[in-house]
Amino acid sequence: MTVMLIVRQALSGIVRDRGVLLLVAIFAALVAVSAFLGWSATNAVNAIYGQAVDWLTAQGAVVPPNPMHQTPPLASLRNLPVYISFLGAFTAIVIGQELVETERRAGVLPLIGSRPVPRGRVAVARMLALLIATSFLTTVAGAVAILALLSLPLQMRAADWGALAWALLLGWTYMSAFGLLALGFAARLQGTAAGLLAATVVWLAITFVLPALTGNVNPTAAINPVSALALVPDTPFFHWSSRLLGPVSLSEAFGWLDARTMGYLPEGLAPRAPLPLLGLWLAFVGSAAFAFHANKTLDLNGGRDA
Amino acid sequence: MPDTLSPMARMATIGLRDAREALRDGFVLVAIAALTLAALVSFVTGAIALNGDAATYAQAKALLLKLGKDVSVIAAPELYPLKLLRGTVEQIEIMGAVIALVAGYRAAAAERGSQALALILTRPLHHWQYLAAKLAGGAGLAAVLLAVVFTVTGMLLPWVSGVALSAGDALRLVIAWGAGVLYLAGIYAMGFGLSLWARSPAAGLITAFALWLMVVLVAPQIGDTMDPDNQVAGGIYAQLSVPKAEQDRIKAGFALYETIRGGIEQASVTKHYERLTFAVLGIKDSYTGKPLGPILTEKRGDLLFLLFFTLGIGGVVLLRPINPDRLTKET
Repeated sequence: MTVMLIVRQALSGIVRDRGVLLLVAIFAALVAVSAFLGWSATNAVNAIYGQAVDWLTAQGAVVPPNPMHQTPPLASLRNLPVYISFLGAFTAIVIGQELVETERRAGVLPLIGSRPVPRGRVAVARMLALLIATSFLTTVAGAVAILALLSLPLQMRAADWGALAWALLLGWTYMSAFGLLALGFAARLQGTAAGLLAATVVWLAITFVLPALTGNVNPTAAINPVSALALVPDTPFFHWSSRLLGPVSLSEAFGWLDARTMGYLPEGLAPRAPLPLLGLWLAFVGSAAFAFHANKTLDLNGGRDA
Repeated sequence: MPDTLSPMARMATIGLRDAREALRDGFVLVAIAALTLAALVSFVTGAIALNGDAATYAQAKALLLKLGKDVSVIAAPELYPLKLLRGTVEQIEIMGAVIALVAGYRAAAAERGSQALALILTRPLHHWQYLAAKLAGGAGLAAVLLAVVFTVTGMLLPWVSGVALSAGDALRLVIAWGAGVLYLAGIYAMGFGLSLWARSPAAGLITAFALWLMVVLVAPQIGDTMDPDNQVAGGIYAQLSVPKAEQDRIKAGFALYETIRGGIEQASVTKHYERLTFAVLGIKDSYTGKPLGPILTEKRGDLLFLLFFTLGIGGVVLLRPINPDRLTKET
């Protein structure tokens, strides 16, 4: 039994899963919506600025510069990281769960255990299947984003396309980290949907609780790409909590990195932790190690659902 | 379940069995602890941030007084204790909804997973009685969950803010609790119904999560990010130093854009729950310190939406017959 055979089998199960297909379809639609949203909101701000300038000029007041002026075209896609951290990460969690759960439900785990295949190889195959699935999600996001950018009246330069590719790679890393975590939880926890729930709880805590502790006080700030990039309130508590929890506040690290890459990061805004990219990659590696260990030690012949 | 039991007693038997199960495996305790903890984190960090604003104001005031300048040029931060509940309400919107979804999934999966649903329905029990018992159990769980959250935060409010709560404040908290119970009961019914109707309860849970993402996060997110004032840090009007009257004139020119934006937001039950609760608790500045009567009159549309949402989903769950092909864990 080769690794690729297991990968093919795992992916064919994912492709037949209606829940996964529904999430992928919603994700693709929202990536397109994100481009339109950013473009239309930018136009609205420019129109407001134009009217404000007329009034300020009539009053003889000083006219401040347009805050949206010289915004790079990729900033129109500023909702993309939000959708990746919501729908993309959740879809990856569902895929990670289904990769183990499908085999467990079908009762084929003991059959796999009876084959002369090293457990480590089965674990690697499942992880590979997950990474291929998240690569597909990223490709869908990239294709829709490119179509949207080409259909809007925006001037894209070569550097902008490179920045989009880098932003998508960061998104792939973020989604894959959660997918691998769910793959590990699904192998470790035998109850139906237990892996899905455990990974979802971690995802919720990272998305809505940690940012509240590091300084983005209101949980719903996470849904707005501009509000999510807030300064740390100037109190000793937030300075310390930001310093201590910043390295594990992944959603903020990802949001900051994508905002910098896509050119809408407020000037002078520091990340919560000194090396956000390192934090993101460490989370990816840690999730991968957990997924590998949990799947390698998965009891193929025991357990109530095996 | 003896055949001589009254319909109410049969429903109570099913509801109590679910409650015992949830208490035995710790789900209720974990759910209460998780939501209370999340709510407290937001509550305490909100209080600390406000405390920081007050300290900044005191420093600025002292500096102005030292320089012999007028202190009225800087606005003093206002302290209304109930405003500190903003983060708590937002955690109920998000985390509370997830807990309600999972509770609904568990209620459906419990009997399907153990193959007991087929057995229960061989008893002289109407389908609606079984479903009503499950829905009542979900509403009961939401009531207990939020009672703990609001009691704990309500007890901490005077201590954190240094301002005692009045009877009127307590009434506002009770109304916010009731709105929360309605909201979570509706989400629970959605999770329960989808997990009962799907080929497998887990597939129903995934669909319910997809709907949760759309209703709780994406629809409010689209409305929020379409707001031009949210596109610029600090707000576009504040950054351009445009007075309120001129802002209103400019906004009037964007009536269609605002209608579309508001329409998207209003498609989300979460937004109606938020608008009602923020107004009742005075979290939104325009409602702070206002009497309760006019607020409830103005916000009756949000309350009605919340009622229709919960009763509508509950009604669909109650009226849709249980599919005989969906009685077990896998079909």
